[in-house]
Amino acid sequence: MAPAIELIGITKRFPGVIANDDVNLRVEEGEIHAICGENGAGKSTLMKILYGMQAADEGTMKIRGEEVSFSSPSEAIERGIGMVHQHFMLADQLTVLENVIIGAEPVKSGGRIDFENARAHLREVGDAYGLTIDPDDLVERLEVGERQRVEIIKVLYRGAKILILDEPTAVLVPQEVDELFRNMRDLRADGATILFIDHKLDEVLEIADTITVLRQGHTVATVKPDEVSAGDLAELMVGSELPTPQTTRSTVTDEVGLEVRDLTVLDDDERPVVEHVSVTVHRGEIVGIAGVEGNGQTELTDAIMGTRDAASGHIVLLGHDITTTSVRHRRQQGLGYVPQDRHREGLLLAAPLWENVALGHQTEPPYAHGPWLDRAGSKARTEEVREEFDVRTPNIDVAAHALSGGNQQKLIIGRELVANPSVLIAAHPTRGIDVGAQAAVWDAIRAARAAGMATLLISADLDELIGLSDTIVVMLRGSLVATLDPTDVTPRDLGAYMTGASLEEAS
Amino acid sequence: MNGTTRRVVLAVAAPVAALAFAIGLSSIVLLISGSNPLDAYGDMLKHASKLETQVDILNRATPLYLSGVAAAIGFRMNLFNIGVEGQYLFAFIVAAYVGGQVSLPAALHVTVIISVAMIVGGAYSGLAGALKVTRGVNEVISTIMLNAIAISGIVAWLITEWQAGGEISATGGRVGTEPIAGSGLLPDINSWLELVTRDIRQGKELTAVLLVAVAVGLLYHVLLNRTVFGFDLRASGMNPTAARAGGISPKRMIVASMVLSGAVAGLVGLPELMDTGFFPSNPIKGLGFAGIAVALLGRNHPAGIALGALIFAFLDISSGILQVTGAASREIVQIMQGVIILAAVVAYEVVRRIRERDEAASAAAALAVGAT
Amino acid sequence: MRKRLLLLLSLLMSFSLIAAACGNDDSTTDAGAGDGDSITVSLIYDIGGRGDQSFNDSAYAGALRAEEELGITFTEASPNDDGSNRAELLQLGADASDLVVAVGFLFEGDVAAVGAENPDTSFGVIDSVMLDFSQDPPVPYGENIAGTGFREEQGSFLVGAAAALKSESGKIGFIGGVSGVGGLIERFEAGYIAGAKAVNPDIEILSEYVTAAPDFDGFNAPDRGKEIGLAMYEDGADVVYHAAGGTGAGLFEAAKDHSDMANRVWAIGVDSDQYLTADPAVQEFILTSMLKRVDVAVYTFIKAVVDGTFTGGPTTYDLAIDGVGYSTSGGFIDDIVPQLEEFKAQIIAGDIVVPTVPE
Repeated sequence: MAPAIELIGITKRFPGVIANDDVNLRVEEGEIHAICGENGAGKSTLMKILYGMQAADEGTMKIRGEEVSFSSPSEAIERGIGMVHQHFMLADQLTVLENVIIGAEPVKSGGRIDFENARAHLREVGDAYGLTIDPDDLVERLEVGERQRVEIIKVLYRGAKILILDEPTAVLVPQEVDELFRNMRDLRADGATILFIDHKLDEVLEIADTITVLRQGHTVATVKPDEVSAGDLAELMVGSELPTPQTTRSTVTDEVGLEVRDLTVLDDDERPVVEHVSVTVHRGEIVGIAGVEGNGQTELTDAIMGTRDAASGHIVLLGHDITTTSVRHRRQQGLGYVPQDRHREGLLLAAPLWENVALGHQTEPPYAHGPWLDRAGSKARTEEVREEFDVRTPNIDVAAHALSGGNQQKLIIGRELVANPSVLIAAHPTRGIDVGAQAAVWDAIRAARAAGMATLLISADLDELIGLSDTIVVMLRGSLVATLDPTDVTPRDLGAYMTGASLEEAS
Repeated sequence: MNGTTRRVVLAVAAPVAALAFAIGLSSIVLLISGSNPLDAYGDMLKHASKLETQVDILNRATPLYLSGVAAAIGFRMNLFNIGVEGQYLFAFIVAAYVGGQVSLPAALHVTVIISVAMIVGGAYSGLAGALKVTRGVNEVISTIMLNAIAISGIVAWLITEWQAGGEISATGGRVGTEPIAGSGLLPDINSWLELVTRDIRQGKELTAVLLVAVAVGLLYHVLLNRTVFGFDLRASGMNPTAARAGGISPKRMIVASMVLSGAVAGLVGLPELMDTGFFPSNPIKGLGFAGIAVALLGRNHPAGIALGALIFAFLDISSGILQVTGAASREIVQIMQGVIILAAVVAYEVVRRIRERDEAASAAAALAVGAT
Repeated sequence: MRKRLLLLLSLLMSFSLIAAACGNDDSTTDAGAGDGDSITVSLIYDIGGRGDQSFNDSAYAGALRAEEELGITFTEASPNDDGSNRAELLQLGADASDLVVAVGFLFEGDVAAVGAENPDTSFGVIDSVMLDFSQDPPVPYGENIAGTGFREEQGSFLVGAAAALKSESGKIGFIGGVSGVGGLIERFEAGYIAGAKAVNPDIEILSEYVTAAPDFDGFNAPDRGKEIGLAMYEDGADVVYHAAGGTGAGLFEAAKDHSDMANRVWAIGVDSDQYLTADPAVQEFILTSMLKRVDVAVYTFIKAVVDGTFTGGPTTYDLAIDGVGYSTSGGFIDDIVPQLEEFKAQIIAGDIVVPTVPE
C-alpha cells in the first residue's frame, strides 16, 4: 500500500538561505508521525509546502501514491489534509461556531447559513474527540489554550484525514495532553494519519509511531520511538545533551522582592477573576504558578504589571506599595516582564531589534538621555543582548518579525534581564521555542536568580515549573489552592491539583 | 542583485510603479473622454516649468504639507484625525481675530498669531482625544462631529460676530475679520528663491509659511525618531498592547498625539491668513481632508509627505492650464490624484511584503550559520 | 485594520472621482469660432462652473450673445472645488486674452491683485463693485478693473410685493442659501420683506437660511431646500422665495409635492427666469423669478472692450436700467403686473427706498 504522504527530494530556497535541502519524508497511512527539530530547522517550511502555502523549488510530493502539487491550502484541504497552525488564524470578533464554519458554511434554502445543522455537527465533532467548548463564546474571550482547541476542531470539522499539528501540546496540561493523545490514537484507529511537530521529546516518544528529525533543512534521521531515548533524539536535533531545567541549589534570601497581599482583580464584565490572592517572592527565589490557562494567571500578571487595575488588595515591590502606580513607574522601580504572548505584548514586530530592546526601558539610560532617545546607546545595548543571549540575526536593524520565535523570545528575555530587574514576572518564557533556546532562557533566569532576582514564573510546561521553581503555588478559578515543594511533586500530581480534586473540565 | 542594491531598488520601486500606473490609468481616462494624453501632460509640464507656476505650486503645497503632517501624527498613533478640517478653520478665524485686535512689534505679533492658531487647533483636537480616553468615543466619530460643530456652528457664528467693515457689504466682496496690521504678517520670501532663480514676475509671492512648514517637518522628524515621546508614539501605533506593557500610558499618548496633531492642523490656515491678512467669509476649505490623502501618499514620513504635497499641488495647479489650453477637463486632475493614492497604497503594500520576506530570509540565513 | 480602512477609502475616493468626471463633461472649453485678430475673452466661473441653471449659465449666455453679435472668441474655466486657484486662473486668463470676466464676488481680492500686475488686460467682475474701500472716498482698483453692483433688493422688493398680492393665507416664506456672506443674501431678504409689507403690513414672513458661512453648501443643497420648503408650506405659507442657487430646485419640488397633496402653493425663483430653466414638471408652480441680468453685465463688459470704451469702476444694475427685475413667464402674475409696475416706478423715482438689511 502506498504511503499516505511521500516527499522526495524537497528543496526550498529563500534568497540567501536554503530552508529545505533534499528533504525526504515517508508517512505511512494511519500512523502518527512526529517531526522534530530546532526552530529554523525547516519544519514549518516543510509543513507549509505540504499544506500548499508555499511551493517547493524541487522535489516530488505524493499523496497516497499520487503525485500532487498544491498551489493553495484549499487544494490540500480537498485532498483531506488539514493543518492547525502554531499562530492561530481565528477571527476574534466571531464566535467559536462561526470561526469553525467559516469557508465551509452549511447553507439552507435561500442562501442562509444553517446554524442549527452546523451546531449539531460541531458538537458531534467536539464530543467525538473530547474537545469541548462553548460554540457561542466569542473567540476574543478565549484563552490561548482554548483557541487552539477551536483550531483543531476546525480542521476536524472539515473532515481532514491527514492532520498536520504544529506543536499541539504546548498549551495543554498533562491531563489534557493525555486526552489529546487518546484522541489522536482514536483518530489513527479510524484511519487518520497525523503529522505533528513537537519540542517535548518525551511526548514524542510516547505518542509517535515514527519520528523524523530535521536539522538545518536536512532530514537527519527517521527512527522508531522504541529504538531511541530522549537523549538520542536531542542529540540528533542539536548535537548536544538534552538540557534540563533543573535548578541546582537554593539561593533564596530573606529579603522580600514582591509581595502580593489579598489581591482581587475583576475582568471586563466586573466579575472577580483573581480572588484574595496573596503570594510572596523573595529575592533569589523563583515562585512558580501552576494552573490551567484561564484561571486568572493572566489577570494576576496584568495587575502586578499595572495594565489592569486591582479591585482591592496591595502589590508591594521592594517594600514600596505600587498598587496604583503606572506601568512605567513600576518598571523604573525594577519590575521586569516577559509577557505570555510575545507578539501581542512583547514586541513591535515592524520595528528594528534595537527599538524592541529599548521598549519598556526607553526612559532610562542607555536608551535615553532625558527626553532624547540615545540611538547609539540603544544599539550598543542591543548588541550586548544579541551577544549574551545568543540572538541569531543578521544585524540589529532587521525588524523583529524577521526573527524566529525562539530568537524573538531570547531577545525579550535578554532585554528584561540586561536591565537587572529586582523582580521578574515571566509568563510562559519558553513557550513555542526550540530546546536550544529553551536551555538558554533557563540558564539566563537561573543566573539572574543567583544574582538576587525575585521571579514569579507562570508556565504551562510542568517540567519547567518543577525544574526551575523554589516554590510552586497552584491557581484554580482565581484563587491559590495549594503550595507545593517542587522537589517532591511530579507533573502528574501537579496536573491533578491544577484541574481540582474532581478533575472537572477546565473552563 | 546584492542586498543593498535590492533595498534601494525596492525603496524606489513603489513610488515609480505607482506613478507609472497612475499615468497609465489617467491616459486611458483622457482617451475615453476624447483628449490627447500627450497634449495634456505636455501642457502640464510646460506650465510647471515656469518659475511663477512653481511659486504657485509651493504656495499650494505648503498648507497641504502642514495638513498632511497633522494627519500623519494621528496615523502614527493609529488615530484617524478626520478633524483637521474643523481644527484649522477654527484656529484660522481665532488667530485672525486676535491678530487683528492686538498691536505688537513684528516678531512678537507673528509669534502671537502662530501660537494662538496652534493652541486653538490643539485644544479643539485634544477634545476628541479627551472624549476617547474618558468616554471611549471613537475619534473618527468625534472629529467628524467636531468638524460640523466648528464649521457650521462656531466659525459661522464667529464670522458674524467678528465681521469687520459691515458697510462694505453692499459690494458683497471682501468681508471678514479686522485686517491684521503689517507687523503681524510675514513678508513673502521671493528674495530667498531669487537667490537661485531669476526674478519672480506677475506679482507672485512665495509664502513665508513655507519656512514654517519646513520647520514643522523637521520637528516632526526629530520628535518622532529622536525623542522618547516619539518612540512612545510610534510604539503605541505599532502595537498598543505591547506599548502598554512597555510602560506607555495609552490615554496620555492619545490625548498628547491628538493635541499635537491639532496644533499642526492649526497652522494649515496660516498661508491664507498671511496672504489676505484676515479671515474671509469664504476661506479655502477642504485642506483638512486633502491632508489625509497627502499623508497616505507620503507614508506618514516627513519627506514622503512633502513629496505627496508637491504632487498634489502640481496637479491642483495644472487644472487651470488644462482648461485654458483645452487639453482636458479639470476633473482629470482629481482623477489623477485619486488614482495615485490608490496605486501608491497597492505598490507600498507589495513592496512591504517583499521586504518582509527578504528580512525573514536573511534572518533565517543567520540562524542557519549560527546553528552549526 | 487601519490599512484596510485606508485602502477602502482610497478605492472609494478614486471611484467616486471617476464617476464624477464621467457624469460631468460639460466644462470642456468652448474654443469659439472667431477669426485670428478678434477680441478674446476669458470667462472664469465660480466654483461649480457652467450647468447651474442660474448664475454661471447666465454669464455664459451673455458671452455667447457677444460671440454671435460682436464676433469675439471666449474660453471658459472654473476653479478647483476648494476655490484655491482663482488667482492662477485669472493670471492664465490675462496671459491669453484681452478681457477677463470673473463671475462672482469671491474673485474681488484676486482680481484686484492680478489686475494690478496686468495693466494691459481688462478685468470685469460680476457682483462686486471693485472699489477699494480702504480709500476715502473709495476708488476703483484700477482703470482696467471694472465691477458691477446689482441692486437685488430692488428686484426682491417686487417679487415680495407679488408674493403678498398672491398670498391667500397671509403667510409667505424666504429661503436664503448662505448667511453671513457680508450681508449678500440678506439683501434679497430685506427687499423681499419690504415689498411684501408694502402690500400687506400685517403679513407674516417665515425666513430661514440653509447654512452659514464659511459653509457654502447652502447654495447647492436641493434636499435641504425641499425640506425647508415643505416645512414652510405646512406651516401655512403659500408663497416661498428662494435666494439659494441650486438649492431652489428642492423648493420647486416641495411646491409641487405640497400642491399635489394639499392646497395649491407657489415658489419664486431667482437670478434667471427659472420658469424657463427648471424641470418642466415644476414649471407651473413658479410664480415668477427675481431677475438678475448677469448676462447683460457680461455682454456689456465685452462690448465696452470691443468699442474701446472700457473703464474702471462699478456699473450699477438696478431697476432703472432693467439690470434687475421680475419675470412673467407662465402668465401667473399677469393680473398684478400693473401694481408691480407702479412699485417699480416709485423705486426708480426714489419715492421708495428699499432697505438692504432685513428689518
